[in-house]
Amino acid sequence: MNREISAVSHYIKPEKSITTAPILVNWALTNRCNFSCSYCYSRLEKSEELSTSHARKIIKILVENKVLFLNLGGGEPLLKKDLFELVSFAKESGLNVTMNSNGYLLNNSVAHKIKNAGFNGIGISIDSHKAKIHDELRKTSGSHRRAIEAIRFLKKAGVKVYISSVVCRANFKEFEELVSFAKKQGVERLNMHNYKCSGMGFANKDNLDLTPDEWGEFYQRALDIRSNSTGIIVALDDPILALLKQAKDSPFENGIDNALVKGSICGKLTLYLRANADVTPCGFIPISIGNLLKDDLKELWTTSPVLQSMRNKTPKGKCRKCKQYEDCWGGCTARAYALRGDFNAPDPHCWYNPNGSNKKEDNK
Amino acid sequence: MGKKIARNPDVVWREESEIRDKILEALEKGEDDSQASEQGTVTLIISGTIYQLNLLGGEIWKLSDGSLTVEGIADSLSSIFDVEKEVLLEDVKEFVDDLLAKGWLVYKDS
Repeated sequence: MNREISAVSHYIKPEKSITTAPILVNWALTNRCNFSCSYCYSRLEKSEELSTSHARKIIKILVENKVLFLNLGGGEPLLKKDLFELVSFAKESGLNVTMNSNGYLLNNSVAHKIKNAGFNGIGISIDSHKAKIHDELRKTSGSHRRAIEAIRFLKKAGVKVYISSVVCRANFKEFEELVSFAKKQGVERLNMHNYKCSGMGFANKDNLDLTPDEWGEFYQRALDIRSNSTGIIVALDDPILALLKQAKDSPFENGIDNALVKGSICGKLTLYLRANADVTPCGFIPISIGNLLKDDLKELWTTSPVLQSMRNKTPKGKCRKCKQYEDCWGGCTARAYALRGDFNAPDPHCWYNPNGSNKKEDNK
Repeated sequence: MGKKIARNPDVVWREESEIRDKILEALEKGEDDSQASEQGTVTLIISGTIYQLNLLGGEIWKLSDGSLTVEGIADSLSSIFDVEKEVLLEDVKEFVDDLLAKGWLVYKDS
């Protein structure tokens, strides 16, 4: 038998079936929300919430399939009345559970409920160090102040907390200030999410999305800032980062260079559950591949044509000639689908021009 | 007596048992053994980054439960991997040293 040891497989091609189930499932427990953020992907979605018994059934299914992480979102998950009961059950069943919240409903009492339920961490959304920018993006006065208070309550209760931000036109020039702000709040991690043109994000893309060149400049700067930041993890989750040498030269950081898969992790390592248990590849791709109350998760994971097509992309447009393709795998599939209607289309945020031409038509 | 090897409890992991079974089945049949080194049978999540261990790495990982030394792990593996004991021991040592240096494995007493 083979005895060769490779301690870590640095890269296993996405077309191979590398996992028998998702590693992480993002679950929008509810679409109800006390906010109406400018780029919310789910604000326009309507779907019924599950009963407690059905939600428990979903958790059992995830555990049976050896899913390791469950991240709760929405909508605002704190609006779901059986949230803590469900999280306690998920934790007892062995899942690692995290949650994204806008923090507005979070007070001292809620923070202790979060602690007692056993959450592994809570992400609080803060888009800027400036209250005005955050409140305008979140369309809720006082939301910045409440988010900071939420972090304080959580930390006091002994809950791991991180800040989640969406990069957009309103905040991208003040990234360094945001990192300093996050450090000052004492969070261990700042998760920077790239702007997606889904839901309200699509409606507001002309005002809030950056141009491809601006994305390139932002990420170049963000990597510099990250490499000089100590005392906080700065996570940049965009597959298009593979285009930048700095990202490639920074192994063991946030899954960029030595990540198991290239391109989007959606449908390869993660899945998304809508409030009614419909399954989609990610929250930003509105294609249901089944429903977890009716369909077998393993079957969906291994046979869904949608997931297969995301794992086996065929380069189109400028990607066909691009030598970077083997690193970025076409970038974010959700963005390509949202703006070009094709998983295989080049990521609309891609600033790289393999032809060296400045003509727009050559750069599509 | 060597120190016993344990997994870092902060590392979240799972076995990809179906993939492992397929690889073992192929190896039993004498089919192409490249999958054993190229495909992951154990998935690790460390600080948000996902890694996979191949068949031998995965077997060492599973045996690193704090009850065995490096020598003990190599002994246990000798029934699965048909190679000389000295060679296997060297491979296990190399792997364990690598993961100890990364902090993914720890000495039980430390």
